[in-house]
Amino acid sequence: MAVDDLSFTAEPGEVTGFVGPNGAGKSTTMRMILGLDAPDRGEALIGGHPYRTLRNPLCEVGALLDASAIHPGRRAHDHLLWMAHYNGLPKSRVGQVIEQVGLGSAARRRAGGYSLGMRQRLGIAAALLGDPPVLMFDEPVNGLDPEGIRWIRGLLRSLAAEGRTVFVSSHLMGELEGTADHLLVVGRGRLIADTTVRELLARASGEQIVLRTPARSEAMTLLANAGATVAATDRDTITVRGIAPDRIAAVLSAGGLTFSELSQHRATLEEAYMELTRDEVEFNAPTVGGTR
Amino acid sequence: MSARDGFGQVLRGEWTKLVTVRSTVWCLFLTVGLTILLSIIGAQGSSTNVGDNAERLLEDRFHFMHQPLDGDGTITARVVRQEDTGDWAKAGIMIKQSTEPRTPYVAMLVTPGHGVRFQADFSTDVAAGAGGTPAWLRLTRSGTTITGFTSPDGAAWRQVGTAELAGLPRTAEVGMFAATPASGTRVIRRGGSTTSSPDYEPSTATFDSVRLAPAAGGPAGAWQSDAIGGGVEFADGTTLVGEASESGGVFTVTGTGDIREVPFTERGDDDIVRNALGGVYLGMIAAAVLGVLYVTSEYKTGMIRTTLTASPRRGRVLVAKALLLGTVTFACGLVASLASLLGARPIQRDRGFVPPFYPDPSLTSGTVLRAVFGTAAFLALMALLGLGLGAVIRRTAGAVVAVLALAVVPGIASSLLPVEGEKWLQRLTPLAGLAMQQTRERWDNWVSPWPGFAVACAYVALALAAAVLLIRRRDTA
Repeated sequence: MAVDDLSFTAEPGEVTGFVGPNGAGKSTTMRMILGLDAPDRGEALIGGHPYRTLRNPLCEVGALLDASAIHPGRRAHDHLLWMAHYNGLPKSRVGQVIEQVGLGSAARRRAGGYSLGMRQRLGIAAALLGDPPVLMFDEPVNGLDPEGIRWIRGLLRSLAAEGRTVFVSSHLMGELEGTADHLLVVGRGRLIADTTVRELLARASGEQIVLRTPARSEAMTLLANAGATVAATDRDTITVRGIAPDRIAAVLSAGGLTFSELSQHRATLEEAYMELTRDEVEFNAPTVGGTR
Repeated sequence: MSARDGFGQVLRGEWTKLVTVRSTVWCLFLTVGLTILLSIIGAQGSSTNVGDNAERLLEDRFHFMHQPLDGDGTITARVVRQEDTGDWAKAGIMIKQSTEPRTPYVAMLVTPGHGVRFQADFSTDVAAGAGGTPAWLRLTRSGTTITGFTSPDGAAWRQVGTAELAGLPRTAEVGMFAATPASGTRVIRRGGSTTSSPDYEPSTATFDSVRLAPAAGGPAGAWQSDAIGGGVEFADGTTLVGEASESGGVFTVTGTGDIREVPFTERGDDDIVRNALGGVYLGMIAAAVLGVLYVTSEYKTGMIRTTLTASPRRGRVLVAKALLLGTVTFACGLVASLASLLGARPIQRDRGFVPPFYPDPSLTSGTVLRAVFGTAAFLALMALLGLGLGAVIRRTAGAVVAVLALAVVPGIASSLLPVEGEKWLQRLTPLAGLAMQQTRERWDNWVSPWPGFAVACAYVALALAAAVLLIRRRDTA
């Protein structure tokens, strides 16, 4: 089972990030929204309607699923043209979206000769073709060069700023840092978190305090006795939870121990995500030595 | 929400898809090109010498129970019974110059399908109205003039016809005869080489009340039994010779063959229209591959997901594809079949297929039009069969193998199989649709045009129905 009982809502005017490890069910979820895969139970609605009933669906939802899903022998322009015809869109839209994604000079070339980054741009052009209020991008950053990554981040932000619902999946949280307003974290087909970026960071950072001391084991004993949860993270580093920094300093001074660093830990989005999905990664590498 | 609007959009999109990829456009060109090419090559490889003999061709083969008649006289007989082996089986009485075939004659005869008739010298044929057996017949000779009569009861006689046989000798042969035209074709196939010959079913007739005036001097033993024209020989080397006997005034005559001038158009048995359209056997492969590629290329690249995202009503997408593909291949097929017919005809004439033996096909003739349009329709059906199987199997290689196994292999296999095997392959596989190309009776017309076409349509309908059913139910991943 790829996806199990996954419910969420993506809001207009926001970039909603959809993250999870590979195999978490992100693509399957998107395919179900687009009516390509049928859920055993339940439904996916776009503006209250199943995708299947949409008359000109490209004008309701634009989607980039798989950038390679194009006929290699067809020119990019013609690929967009048949899609436009399918939904009764004017031919002029094709030229507009080609310019919008920066493929103008390559539009008359056959798609088989495109690099992965160009295919991503073509896929994005296809999603934008119907000028839809809802956009879904599955791993849009794949294959893009740094300039392309910057471009797509700006595009996602501006699409949201226009009031559209932008739904972006990624297996790398860092890709969404600074782009997504809202985050949906999935693992093994289940929703693990439905939150904002700020909340997620705060939660991951928690009350964790990093302590660097040459007398690691003595410090751990003292702090544990004082009621803290401690974990050794390095030869001379401990993370401490459950008690305040000034109390830690007091306990250590009372025990006559010295320390070189006592700081509030600030998690990155990547760490927060790792924390959340640690148990959800389907193929975990076996842990070698050390404590967790 | 009008469904028709949406359908027009999908059709237009599919048209754009079809014409913007080289491989599909190439397949269309190949369908046309290969059909014409093989038709031309086939015409160049054909030949006939039927035109070498422009004389009349007389068929004169029957069984004759006869005796000489010296000078003027009359023969009367009653045909009691005639075995019905065909509409034109003949039983009756005859006055003939000699027992040599193709010598002048006059006959009064009955047929199962065309009543009582007066016939003379391979050219005169007078109908005497309906009426089966028993039938009273009479021929009277006066000089070189012979007159035929018939009667319902042997008492009241009605004249049917009269004929002048110039040069009829004083002594002519007179008697009862039986003949029956070929009932079909006997085909012998050894190791892929096929020989055919007309097949005959002998017809037996019984006569009584035979009177000859003036009566010949001798007893009944004076009657002689002869197979005029020497019986028939079949492709397998066997022969069939008639027989005749007399017992207590009842004569039994069994014979095969016919007495007639063979029309020019029957002297060769080739169907030149069908032969001129023979390139369809190659063109159909390109058409079927086109149909397969048109849909499997979408599955191979994953583009089917884009298609079904752009139009989530899947059945409608397939129907649009089928309609467009069918129309386009039909139009191209029409070009191919017209060009084949017109291109092959001059070559056929060079190879001996000349009028009046092989008249030029006329495009206003119903059967020729049926062949031309039927060939185009067959190519369209092959493309649709490829489309249906491609949508069911979703893999190019598998679908191509399936469509070739279904539609092309039977064509190759059927010429190697025993005739019985060929018959059923041509009837039950999609190849039956090629029956639309028939423009004349032939032994290898295993199925009639429209029923054959219906068989091919049934395969296509089945494949497309399965495709629509499956595309609706299956995930597209």
